[in-house]
Amino acid sequence: MKKKFWLVPLLFCMLFLSGCGQKVADQAVLKNAQSSKTITWGVEADMKLFSLIDVRDDVHKGFEIDLAKAITKQILGPNGHAKFVTATAQSRIPLLKNGNVDAVIATMSITPERKKVIAFSNSYFNAGESLLVPVHSRVKNVHDLNGKTVIGIVGDNSSEVVKKFAPKAKVIGMQNYGQAVSALKSHQGDALVSDNGVLYGLAVENPSLVVTGGTFTKEPYGIAINKQQKPFERAVNRAIVQLEHSGEYNHLIKKWFGKVPGFNYKEMDQR
Amino acid sequence: MINIFMHFGNQLLVGLGWTLLCSLITLVFSLIIGTSLALLQMLPSKLVHFLCRIYIEVFRNIPLLVIVMFFYLIIPLYFFKINGFTAGTIGLTLYTSAFIAEIIRSGIQSVEAGQLEGSRSTGMTYWQAMRYVVLPQAFKIVIPSLGNQFVNLIKDSSILAFVAGFDLLYQANAIASTTFDTINSYLVVGILYLLLTMPLSYYMHYLEKRLS
Amino acid sequence: MSMIEFNNVQKFYGKFHALRNINLKIDKGETVVLIGPSGSGKSTLIRTINQLESIEGGQLIVNNHDLSDSKTDANILRRDVGMVFQHFNLYANKNVLENIMLAPRIVSHVPEAENKQRAMNLLEMVGLADKAQNMPRQLSGGQKQRVAIARSLAMRPKLLLFDEPTSALDPEMIDEVLQVIKKVTMASEMTSLIVTHEMGFAKEVADRVIFMDQGHIVEDDDSQAFFNQPQTERAQQFLSKIIAH
Repeated sequence: MKKKFWLVPLLFCMLFLSGCGQKVADQAVLKNAQSSKTITWGVEADMKLFSLIDVRDDVHKGFEIDLAKAITKQILGPNGHAKFVTATAQSRIPLLKNGNVDAVIATMSITPERKKVIAFSNSYFNAGESLLVPVHSRVKNVHDLNGKTVIGIVGDNSSEVVKKFAPKAKVIGMQNYGQAVSALKSHQGDALVSDNGVLYGLAVENPSLVVTGGTFTKEPYGIAINKQQKPFERAVNRAIVQLEHSGEYNHLIKKWFGKVPGFNYKEMDQR
Repeated sequence: MINIFMHFGNQLLVGLGWTLLCSLITLVFSLIIGTSLALLQMLPSKLVHFLCRIYIEVFRNIPLLVIVMFFYLIIPLYFFKINGFTAGTIGLTLYTSAFIAEIIRSGIQSVEAGQLEGSRSTGMTYWQAMRYVVLPQAFKIVIPSLGNQFVNLIKDSSILAFVAGFDLLYQANAIASTTFDTINSYLVVGILYLLLTMPLSYYMHYLEKRLS
Repeated sequence: MSMIEFNNVQKFYGKFHALRNINLKIDKGETVVLIGPSGSGKSTLIRTINQLESIEGGQLIVNNHDLSDSKTDANILRRDVGMVFQHFNLYANKNVLENIMLAPRIVSHVPEAENKQRAMNLLEMVGLADKAQNMPRQLSGGQKQRVAIARSLAMRPKLLLFDEPTSALDPEMIDEVLQVIKKVTMASEMTSLIVTHEMGFAKEVADRVIFMDQGHIVEDDDSQAFFNQPQTERAQQFLSKIIAH
């Protein structure tokens, strides 16, 4: 494309800003955290079960929040304080890069593309594509979808992934999860495909629907950390392992996902 | 932009096809339903008039998305299976025919009363007088407004995107979220919509000139 | 045999009493002229005869159809009752020939060739054969009214109603239209009812004159008697005013 001269000043601004950020991010996060007794986490605001702002008291609640708090205490001791900053899908990486948050825990799958830009902790949740179906559906797993209609979100690659397992499935894309769930309830499709994490949230709110068949891809969630923060990354990984051994991790899983219909504990076993 | 044409040519062609099909079906049926509603309102029966008004006010005053969602989500729960394209096309037809009914009604009312009396005095029935004398004149009067409505209808067919109707906008959304090139995806689809609406606009202008 | 029979007919527009106790009998073949000041109910009366206006009381029988009976089909009645309007009411979307041929084609299903022949004969009769392909808007007022007369004759009516056929015309065109009306009404089997303000013409063609005022029929007499010696003061006043002009 031509005539994008307006991009030049913009690029300068971005270089300047990222330059500033670089310094902050370069500072040792672990040392700062230990001296201030605080770790700042970037979290989502609208992810049911994982991290959702409760409109009644304006406080983040969910599995990721509890896990972040537990990791904080594991690293900093009982006086450690976890601070939460709301991030969106667009803003979470910039927030991390310029040092506004120390880590991001926001249903982010560990992917090679992302790894070029940031580092990840070890997986804290075995996410992957799964299926949401009506309670008495005959669809039990992704292979049952041949010749069936599958509902996805427009442009989401989930629907393409389905075709690898069930080539004869017909895929229709809805604009958002609300409409997708309505379409499923109206029998416009036989299954809704997405991350199991998302689907658990939808299943809790819709008792007539259930997550089924387990995950048919592996896209585990990791905690995003800046690349130059190896000591902090190691501390986080150590904390996760300790929480798993102490049973705290399982306790949190049970607390948040225990009542989700179709939730599979075996799949969640990190070891 | 060229890239998008090259890589997603098939998808765009499919989208164009569904948009065109939906628009054509809607155009034909909304013209029939709209004209019938306009004529029914002229009948002496107060009940018929009342029912027509209810239809028109309901469909004219509810957002198209709500109407289409009703057909897509409610109808299959209680009545019969209906896919996104059908639900969208039915919704758009009912919505558009409410507007066309109002346009035709205003056209009929602007034809001199003497035209109807002249026809009736020779023994023509009400319907014959309407068909041979009043409606041809009414249509001529309302061609510009009808043309507007037809162009709106083509654009409104983008409602299919919200019920997985595979139309142009649906494809644009899909292309935009795979390529992350939102601007060019919508630009391409905008051009394709122009390709559909411009000839129609010109034809309506031509018709207007030829008939006056 | 009577063609039209009014028995105590009433007509209201809301509270306005437009026709009051109309009693009138018109025989087949008669030519009757209806006069009176404006607002006296002449047009209303003539429009009830082909049911362009409904009646609210009494009985009205036209060509053996009882119009007070709701089962009577006005469309069938109107096939035998032609009407010529003050403002012509030619179909603006059809040419002269089509204006004449439309009703015979779609109402009485006259074969196309015969229909066309008849239409051309009628145009010949009103002196407008050369205008057959013109659109109404290309004609003068007098020509439009002559086409309208031809159109009303195309259905071969037994009764012709003229509702102020020359009132909307420029003075120099009135005569050409009156000549045509005269020609039509002279035919012995045709029954005609004419609302007009042309007294000279009325005197010339009418067998009978009916004078109306304020919704009443005030006078009903044969033409000569009426014009020579009107019986009521109201009619005398009306005539003296008209003739003085």
